[in-house]
Amino acid sequence: MSTPFWFVLLALIAYGIAFWGYGKWYDRTVWKPDPNRTTPAHMYTDGVEYFPVSKYVLWGYQYKSVAALGPILGPFIALNYGWAPALAWIILGNFFIGWLQDYGAIMVSIRNQGRSFGPITYEFTGAGGRSTLLGFILFYLVIISATFIQLIATFWNIFPGSFFATLGIIVTGVVVGQLMYKVKMGVGATTLIAFVLMIISFWLGTIPAFQWKLPFGAWNHATWALIVAAILWVASVLPLPTFIQPFNYVSFFPAFLAVIFILLGALLSPATGVTLAQPAWKGFTSPAGPMWPMMFVAIACGSISGWHSLVGSSSTSKQLDIETDAHPVGAGAMLSEGLLALASLAAYMVLSPQQIADLKNSSVGAWVFGATLLTKWLPFSDAALRVFYGTVLVIYAITVQALVTRFWRLVSAEVFGQSPLAQKHVSTFIGLLIPWVLAVSGTWNNIWLYFGGSNQLLAGLALMLITIHLARVKSPSIYTLIPATFMIVTTLSALLFQTWVFLQAAMAGPKATKVMEPLKSAAPAVANALDWVSVLIGLALFVLGIRMAVLTYQAYGRAVSGAMPQPTTVSGDD
Amino acid sequence: MFSKKKNGGEGEKKAGLGTILKGVLYGMASHGNVTAALRTRMHLEHLFMFITLGDMLGIPVLPPYYSLRILPYAVPNIESWKQRVFRERDFTDAIY
Repeated sequence: MSTPFWFVLLALIAYGIAFWGYGKWYDRTVWKPDPNRTTPAHMYTDGVEYFPVSKYVLWGYQYKSVAALGPILGPFIALNYGWAPALAWIILGNFFIGWLQDYGAIMVSIRNQGRSFGPITYEFTGAGGRSTLLGFILFYLVIISATFIQLIATFWNIFPGSFFATLGIIVTGVVVGQLMYKVKMGVGATTLIAFVLMIISFWLGTIPAFQWKLPFGAWNHATWALIVAAILWVASVLPLPTFIQPFNYVSFFPAFLAVIFILLGALLSPATGVTLAQPAWKGFTSPAGPMWPMMFVAIACGSISGWHSLVGSSSTSKQLDIETDAHPVGAGAMLSEGLLALASLAAYMVLSPQQIADLKNSSVGAWVFGATLLTKWLPFSDAALRVFYGTVLVIYAITVQALVTRFWRLVSAEVFGQSPLAQKHVSTFIGLLIPWVLAVSGTWNNIWLYFGGSNQLLAGLALMLITIHLARVKSPSIYTLIPATFMIVTTLSALLFQTWVFLQAAMAGPKATKVMEPLKSAAPAVANALDWVSVLIGLALFVLGIRMAVLTYQAYGRAVSGAMPQPTTVSGDD
Repeated sequence: MFSKKKNGGEGEKKAGLGTILKGVLYGMASHGNVTAALRTRMHLEHLFMFITLGDMLGIPVLPPYYSLRILPYAVPNIESWKQRVFRERDFTDAIY
């Protein structure tokens, strides 16, 4: 058991049982999908949002839409308690909770005319519930943005070569967009050009002359964060085909090549001789807080994630050909993401505590060095592999963050209506300024735990919506009610704990601040004020979460008692 | 790449490995881009339909004479246009 191979093998067996054993049984017992029942994709075909798509395409689409930095970097914090609890939560969380949520979200949407979670929340909990969800998602987006901006800035600061490589890939994306849409060049030729340009970008990143370092000393991180925000601004306000679309397309190739490399590295570890260097158990408490609830929110998307339910009910459910495709698409994509979390955990486990300390306890640095160690058998130098893996992390963050910033714009338009705050540039500015301030001031663990807490709480609430639907149609709801309750209690506790951490720091004054350098020394009063801001964000997330939880449990009570009307049936339903 | 089946179920053939890999690769790399392009086209078509047939919704933008001249070309799109325009939309629909 001294190589990562065994853990990947164990997880593959567990996920296999979850998919073909528990999954099939649950399907027969609870959802009873019927391949002859008309899905929204056929019922409302418009060739734009509603149209039937093959399950293989949808699986690829769903997986690509949900797999981001959560499962890659989350296990690093969980490692504070030892790898054994982290491994257990990745496997058991996926087995009993994660896939149930992703699959259930798609099925609920299908059985409710392909509607997304906003209208479904409105139907189950009323206008108050939908407004609360909207408010919660606004704070959630701020936290995601802060987390990702901080990550990219941290990485560019640690590995300067990756900035140039990222820039090269951004330029490649823009060129590809022009070639595809303006020059009308074929996809094959464009992709070939993109490959060549990307290889040149990675290669340039390894050359010292292109490993740019900023001259601002302690303020380097803040400046890198500003550059990230500027790039995101451009990505958010430009038309999709000019920036985000082609950039996402070219980024896909290195991003998924990296995942395949690391998984292969873990499976080949008995042959390559890479062994585990981390202790299995370190203790119940760590600097991040007690194992329960903090570890369960730290491994963000690796076990369960609320973002997945938003994606599943927003687009996938509208394109599902037949009901029986929902299981391979929803459950399959989640379990595959569990493998990604496991591969990342393996990358951390092969580094010794001393090596991680030498990397200043940086999760991004540790992942890159661990991934490099696992894939030493590749015919590239360590420096080249580090630039490659580092840039891949940045790519993951930018592709998701560009979409999040756009989504913020749309939510702002919904919230602020005709006010100037809804204007494109104003809302984008606000949507980047607040996260930038948090990213520059907050410590990594604290922001990540807010992110994990809100993300997992959203998952708990999604599970409650699924439970309400099942109770309403008199199907067994206990299999989602128990995970929903566990997730809601755990995440609310985690948010409360993290808020308490910030409150203690804020009340103790500038010396105890959670704000990092250089702001901590340069402007202690500002640092203390930012601690209070973090308290307010935590409280807002907690209060909104509690309100949503109360509303969903009340709705569940109505559904069980039969007071809630049955879903509207359409032609083709049973 | 999109499904050819009308309503799945019976008669569905097992896909070969090549089809599966092609589908997965397309889904990961391009499906999101394709749907985004379709949505962009949809918004442009909405604009065109509003300008030419706005009076159907009580918003006369173009004089009825010109609308009538264009009507034969717009008729095939009227049904799906009305369906898309009147469909309930929510902020959670706009994620992807």
